[in-house]
Amino acid sequence: MTVSLLTHLSFYLPEAIAILTMCGLLFVEAAYGMAERGRTLVYITGIIGMVLCLALLGSNVGIAPISLFAKSVVIDSFGTSMKIIMVLGTLGTFFISDKSTDIYENLKSEYLIMATGVLVGGMLLVSATNLLTLYLGIETLSILSYVMTSLKRKESTSQEAGIKYALYGGVTAGIMLFGMSHLYGLFGSINFADIAVGVKTLEGAKFTAALVSFLLFFVGVGYKIACFPFHMWSPDVYQGSPVPVTAFFSIVPKLAGIAVVTRVTMTFFSAESALGDVWSIFLQVIAALTMTVGNLAALRQESVKRMLAYSSIGHVGMILMGVIVMNQTGTNAILFYGLVYMFMTLAAFFITGFVVNRYGSDDHVFFRGLVKNYPFLTICFVLVLFSLAGLPPFGGFVAKFNMISAAINSKLYSLSFIAAINSVISLYFYIRLAKTMTLDQPDEETEELVEYTVPARIYLAALTIPVVVLGIFWDKIYKVYSAATIALGG
Amino acid sequence: MFGLEWYLGISLVLFFVGIAVILSRKNIVAILLGVELILNSAALNFVAYSRFVTQNLDGHIFSLFIIVIAAAEAAVGLAIVIRYFQINNTIHVDEAKELRG
Repeated sequence: MTVSLLTHLSFYLPEAIAILTMCGLLFVEAAYGMAERGRTLVYITGIIGMVLCLALLGSNVGIAPISLFAKSVVIDSFGTSMKIIMVLGTLGTFFISDKSTDIYENLKSEYLIMATGVLVGGMLLVSATNLLTLYLGIETLSILSYVMTSLKRKESTSQEAGIKYALYGGVTAGIMLFGMSHLYGLFGSINFADIAVGVKTLEGAKFTAALVSFLLFFVGVGYKIACFPFHMWSPDVYQGSPVPVTAFFSIVPKLAGIAVVTRVTMTFFSAESALGDVWSIFLQVIAALTMTVGNLAALRQESVKRMLAYSSIGHVGMILMGVIVMNQTGTNAILFYGLVYMFMTLAAFFITGFVVNRYGSDDHVFFRGLVKNYPFLTICFVLVLFSLAGLPPFGGFVAKFNMISAAINSKLYSLSFIAAINSVISLYFYIRLAKTMTLDQPDEETEELVEYTVPARIYLAALTIPVVVLGIFWDKIYKVYSAATIALGG
Repeated sequence: MFGLEWYLGISLVLFFVGIAVILSRKNIVAILLGVELILNSAALNFVAYSRFVTQNLDGHIFSLFIIVIAAAEAAVGLAIVIRYFQINNTIHVDEAKELRG
């Protein structure tokens, strides 16, 4: 028994490293403080931890799916690829937090600690094959997120965002649990594999009860990915949080939520499941509404952070298309979209961070004529905006193209049509920001950007180049992902 | 004497009372109380199903986890509410509307 537990742990090393990094950060901060030397040490600890985590995840890529800890988690290629994207995203926001003055200097260590904690929760969520681990993952993710939102302790907006996040989060988690409890009663187990067997032979009153329970269950997950009826919190929280936290929220919790929706859908609602058709139609409606609402609301936003929040809602609707097709093409498209989305979001928030550093606000007017003084910064942002809008030859285009082609292959014609229309709508608000930066005249007294140093420029280039390169050499990364099968149940 | 239906009925009542509290009360602390009611209704369901239907321990363990996490969530929620109160001198939800777009 002990031996098998150790073997299980050896597959769970990336998560263990992430937890150790969190503890190490706590110790380093307690021992050295956040003065000059302590600050460097904290960042070095965080970066080393994440790089180690990446290396260990890399060694897990391509192994056959394996169930660990009494079938409560599964290690498979899909989950591992998703975790790699999440760890990269966390590492990226570490660099953003280093350059941002939006977080108080002495709270930056707290940011690193809590971001790593959220990452641990997200990794648990991605590989959960049991209702209990799923719930634990969601709550680890959520509770730390509430604190991260209110990290600007002296500002009322940040606290307000935290309250909204915590209240919505608590309510949706409660509703999800209520659904889970009935699933447990209906199927007699909290294991995905046992529930999946039960789902195949549902009929009569049990069918209705299971459907209602699954819908209640979806409330909690849907809230984490901010899809249509549960998206209301997202713009407020994004606007109220410090910039690095906003960047973090639009990557790690969202991708973890997408991964869990994918796993749940493919385990319970495949073609032979009694609920498959109903669930597919339900998800199609949700996806269509999510992208339409997100993109339409983004049209009239003056705050760039709010605009990016609504645009990320639109992107989630697009990614949900890959969930609905429920096959290998779909999961590949999800992973590729996730990777490109991660780079684009990091770059967009990194640049927004500089404007927030300088003016303390992310309003459209502060982006006016940025090209005059900062041509490199502006060019990078314009490239990223084009990619977000889905123009060729950037990564965003290939990601959207793959997603829509996966949907068309599965005969989801109307949904693909809605996705194409949404791409056109989103073009307007991305190009509008690009126009503000390049063609509009700057105000009289333009001031120097804070912290816009040479390392910051190198980091910005390192974020922008993948966006372009992924658009041209996408087939290389696709070959890697085509091995990324998803393990069902467990 | 009391069968499964009783427990499910009580938990359903708790659930809807919780929802009603969340929708009707304007005090943030009262809303947090409503959230606790919903969480407890789910925990009660788990224990009842575990006792009457499935006869395994999964439900009991799940309900213990729910209690622990509910406490953690309430602690974080109240901490943020206290910060908000220190800044704005109110915990009324209708006052919390600075963030609009």
